[in-house]
Amino acid sequence: MKKVWSILVTLAFLAFSIGASAVMAADGPVKLGFVYIMSGPFATYGQFAKQGAELAIEEINKAGGINGKKIEAFFEDSAGKPDVGIRVIRKLVYENGVDAVIGLDSSGVASAVAPIMKELKTPLIITHAATPDVTGKNCNRYTFRISLNENQNMKMAAAIAADMKAKTWTTIGPDYSFGHQSWEYFEKYLKEKKPEMGFLPVSEVAFAPMKTTDFSAYITKVMNSKADGVLVSLWGGNLIDFVRQASDMGFFDGKREVLLTLGAATEVLYALKDKMPEGIWVGTRYWFAGNDSPENKSFVDAYKAKYDTYPSYNAHGAYAAIKAFAAAASKAKSSDKEKVVDALTGLSITLPVGKVTIRPEDHQAITDGIWGKTAADPAYPIRVLKPVKNFTGAEITPPVAETGCKME
Amino acid sequence: MVGLFSKNFFVGFLVLILMALAPFFVTTHWVIILTEIIIMSLFAMSFNLLFGYTGLLSFGQAGFFGVGAYVSALTLTHLSSSFWVCLPVGIVGAMLFALVIGWFCVRLDEIYFAILTLGFGMMLFTLAHNWLSVTGGSDGLTIASMPVLSIFGHKIELFNPKFFYWVSLTVVSLGIIFLRQIVKSPFGLLLTATRENSQRVSFVGQNVRTVRLVAFTIAGSLAGMAGVLFALFNRIASPEMLHWSFSGKAVLMTILGGSSVFLGPAVGTAVFFVLEHFITSYTTNWMIFLGAILVILVLAFPQGVLGTLATFFSKLNGGRNSD
Amino acid sequence: MEGFLINVLNGLSWGMLLFLISMGLTTVFGVMGVLNFAHGSLFMLGAYISMQLTRWISSFWLGLIFAPIIVAILAIIIERFLLRPVYGRDVSFQLLLTFGVMLFLDDGVRLIWGPAHHLVNPPDVLSGVFPIFDQTYPVYRLFLIAMGPAIGIILWAFFSYSRYGKIIRAAAMDREMAEIIGVRAPILFTAVFAFGAWLAGLGGALAAPHQSVGPAIGEHIIIESFIVVVIGGMGSFPGAFVGALILGLLGSFGATMAPNFQMALPYILLAIVLLTRPRGIFGEES
Repeated sequence: MKKVWSILVTLAFLAFSIGASAVMAADGPVKLGFVYIMSGPFATYGQFAKQGAELAIEEINKAGGINGKKIEAFFEDSAGKPDVGIRVIRKLVYENGVDAVIGLDSSGVASAVAPIMKELKTPLIITHAATPDVTGKNCNRYTFRISLNENQNMKMAAAIAADMKAKTWTTIGPDYSFGHQSWEYFEKYLKEKKPEMGFLPVSEVAFAPMKTTDFSAYITKVMNSKADGVLVSLWGGNLIDFVRQASDMGFFDGKREVLLTLGAATEVLYALKDKMPEGIWVGTRYWFAGNDSPENKSFVDAYKAKYDTYPSYNAHGAYAAIKAFAAAASKAKSSDKEKVVDALTGLSITLPVGKVTIRPEDHQAITDGIWGKTAADPAYPIRVLKPVKNFTGAEITPPVAETGCKME
Repeated sequence: MVGLFSKNFFVGFLVLILMALAPFFVTTHWVIILTEIIIMSLFAMSFNLLFGYTGLLSFGQAGFFGVGAYVSALTLTHLSSSFWVCLPVGIVGAMLFALVIGWFCVRLDEIYFAILTLGFGMMLFTLAHNWLSVTGGSDGLTIASMPVLSIFGHKIELFNPKFFYWVSLTVVSLGIIFLRQIVKSPFGLLLTATRENSQRVSFVGQNVRTVRLVAFTIAGSLAGMAGVLFALFNRIASPEMLHWSFSGKAVLMTILGGSSVFLGPAVGTAVFFVLEHFITSYTTNWMIFLGAILVILVLAFPQGVLGTLATFFSKLNGGRNSD
Repeated sequence: MEGFLINVLNGLSWGMLLFLISMGLTTVFGVMGVLNFAHGSLFMLGAYISMQLTRWISSFWLGLIFAPIIVAILAIIIERFLLRPVYGRDVSFQLLLTFGVMLFLDDGVRLIWGPAHHLVNPPDVLSGVFPIFDQTYPVYRLFLIAMGPAIGIILWAFFSYSRYGKIIRAAAMDREMAEIIGVRAPILFTAVFAFGAWLAGLGGALAAPHQSVGPAIGEHIIIESFIVVVIGGMGSFPGAFVGALILGLLGSFGATMAPNFQMALPYILLAIVLLTRPRGIFGEES
């Protein structure tokens, strides 16, 4: 037993020496930490985001860096789990000494991490997770979002649904907050536009656990309901499995209106290719052929040249967040965290997606949104959007008072 | 015997002092890693009371860990902002759940016990995941403000990583000392006896089920204690903390360290997190390394890190001091 | 009524996939006493390899034949070099070993094929849909529903009438006795483990056209097949069949009727069965 103790003491000393050897460089490059899902069924999102981030960093470093300093990147895997997300963000801040954290795919991770940023006093720019809470009731000084959130996406969905034939709506979504909230907001916004619209009660709609690979039971449930409009908020691998199985079961036979809220993710479109039915309304946060601005053209061309694939919205999110950080840091003439936070607040910048303004009251990006109908085009290996429907940031963003955000 | 005890006591005291001084020598990041290690150590050791001492492989230990986390988060939101309330309430919550679930589970043994505990653990997971109005669903319960901890009128700022480390160290040490008392007591010997030969225990007039149920409840309560700290550490109670894969972590860390040595699970936890920390700095394929390490460990060092070292040293000493 | 029938079909197709996987799991457990955590990874490997073969030689059938064989060969290596040294040890070490193998294989697959999802098309003869009520239903699902019992019957005949089948059954019942009458346990174990892996690989290859091939495809099905094996009775073929049917139908009807409890339903069933019949529905009570 004595020996066991002495081993323990040795181990403890070892731990000390390791810990003490980790020294932080005081004046070096600008350090950015990235947290995405790099493993599991949603890992393609992390892969695209990493590519987008590396492209932006390459561009900025080639042009001389931020305030003359090069960017150094640290990538971490959140595995889509809150405790892992918190652990890696603390690691990025305390060990790598990053100047900002960028990323987050899962809303669960975002909700868990946002309050921690107050203690870490480090800016966080969310690029994908859509939960309204982090720029709503849990908003704080250090948390920003450069991508569209659920409310904005559902406002667009509701606007499109209002012009459709369907009279009664139902949903198929993932069985966690994102799926449930999407349905809630969709119902709320569509009712505002068309009070006569019907919605199935929560017990009759379909929410599938995230581990589901066979969606037939949910497809059957929705097909046998009396609804003639379906909001599908599945994403990633779930959406791929769903679309495939739903096509075979005649779900897309034209008898019902279908909205795929995250259907225009290139991660999904590349996997499905011609298995994605045509003429379906799909939503996204960014579409590579959405506008002809020089910013967009140069982004898409550079991305295509580098990775031989069209950028997804997640690739754009990571790219955009770095550009926004760079803009804020050069505006502040420093990468000091507090100064960057001040500069990010209310920042306006032109990104590939269009003009983006970070609303000072809740730190949510106000930006134009896009939905489109899937169409085949021989020029592309995947389904593209034709026609597209553009929405202005002003019309799709709920007023600050509605978000519940009280910025301290 | 007495001499050995006092030596043990002395060395244990030394390690504790060293641990307590750690925050003065390491970076904040390592303070945080150490905090997670000591909290998870208690979790793994609670599991090992069942596994190493009683011979029951539980795959539902995360359920009680999670109950502790949720109950304390709920207490903080609705009942009281005091640390002295949220910790005991969390432990008692976990204890009650362990008592009820244990009452069913101790009827079975071996692989069937493992699977049944997994089943109950996953029921608790579903409860946390789906009972939106109480548990916050998949987003979990965020702890908006840390509990107030005052000792003799001094307020201790728990959001300061160092203070939180010291509080966790204190609570976990108390838990471990308690566990030590249990396994050294006659009851602890009885537990080991049920593992070795449950029939003989019933012959001498002890009810095996009752013995196991008591062990199950103690293990569950200590897991809940770790859960309370973990929720405070992460400022959130989330459903993942109840998932069977989280229970699997306890199994893993215990066997990594060695289930036959009292502090084996704690060393396993430390090794696990330190390895994870270094490997994930170089690659996102941490799992492939973990898998390989596990396989090698099982094949070459089945007694775990601490167990192997202990055997090695006791061999050097000619078999003395084998505790 | 329409919903009911289609739900039955949905439940059966998933259930038969579960059955194929559970058969391998239950055989390995019955004969070797090993609960194989890596079984889901072998399933996943079957799906990925058949996907790759289908791309290279553009024949689903050849993929279906060769993918399970490749998985079985890999399993022989795993059994021979990793599993064999731990037979005499505590059950928990075998669990842990297969758990390690699972982590290794899952991440290894991601390293080789990347995180993207891939689609495999069913062969032309099975790729159609047929009308049922006012919707369509994929022929491939009916093929899956037929494959389950077909393979089940072939295996049942093998175990009941062939010499090797009888040896395996004898070994499952009494390992020592089998050794006394001259069965060489090491070779038998290797064969049984490879056979279980072959079934997992076959399940994966059959699942590939039914769902997308992506990381973590084995995660969901392995937990469900654990439950199937336990409630059916470990080592029992009829048990695996009945268990898979129950779980498949529970999944499809649960999704419709009890959406809030649906995730917990398999576990509730598991607890009820274990507490009333601890060795499973078809298990021998000790």
